[in-house]
Amino acid sequence: MVYRLTQGMLEETFEHFRRCGRGREECQALWVGSWDTPDTISRVVHPKHVAQHGGFVLDDEWLNTFWIELGNTNSGIRVQVHTHPHEAFHSAVDDEFPIIHKAGFLSLVIPNFATGPVGFKDAYLTEIQQDGRWRQVEIASRLVLT
Amino acid sequence: MLDKTCCPSSEEALEHLRKAEYDLEQARRKEQEAQKEIGEAEAEIKKAIDEIEHPRVFKVEVLYDGIKKQFEVRVEETVKHLLDQAIRAFGQLPQPHTLSLYKDGKELADNQTIKEVGVKPCDVLLLRPSTVKGGA
Repeated sequence: MVYRLTQGMLEETFEHFRRCGRGREECQALWVGSWDTPDTISRVVHPKHVAQHGGFVLDDEWLNTFWIELGNTNSGIRVQVHTHPHEAFHSAVDDEFPIIHKAGFLSLVIPNFATGPVGFKDAYLTEIQQDGRWRQVEIASRLVLT
Repeated sequence: MLDKTCCPSSEEALEHLRKAEYDLEQARRKEQEAQKEIGEAEAEIKKAIDEIEHPRVFKVEVLYDGIKKQFEVRVEETVKHLLDQAIRAFGQLPQPHTLSLYKDGKELADNQTIKEVGVKPCDVLLLRPSTVKGGA
């Protein structure tokens, strides 16, 4: 599926990364959309988490609350987005512990703690396959900025 | 000499007494049977109330990525049984070993039964990863 999101949402995502990660720690954002319009990302969620230079872990209690909120708002997570200190890629930890385990789910990695220009330059997008493995996909084939 | 019609003989009185004693015995037997039936009926009522309050088969909902699906569970089934059902229903999710069911913020142990973990009719259980993390 090709997801549509606004330039403003991408900017908001970078703002979260820069403010929270301060160029020193990894950070995550979630792109969420209504199940009524599955191809449209409608908001950016900044999860409660603990982070360090080379990783982050989501808060367990926050995750429970967020899960219920998704049900109450008929929404789903379309893409998880997180930063890396340097190069963007999907690590073994990224592969093993995503927030959604569904074929077609996307994970976008932004390099250099998102301190570069807002956009997809040097970013890495990967998708869960039917067999559970991740496979890199062209960003333009899955994400369209509107 | 006493008139027999106004003063019954002792034989007649004894007969009357035996009849009365027999009637009393019958009545007591009926009372015992009635008490037994009352006890049985009360036990049935208690059992019926218990079944209403603690049914053995009931429906719950499982929530994953904003979507709820309904499942019928039996109290003696394990959490793992429901977990496997839910994983299949949500599209044979890959890496099922990383997923668990949660109730009231607590992760449910896979090897315990629905009854042991306190799942009740109409509960909404969360199907979610036990841990979400990333790292370069």
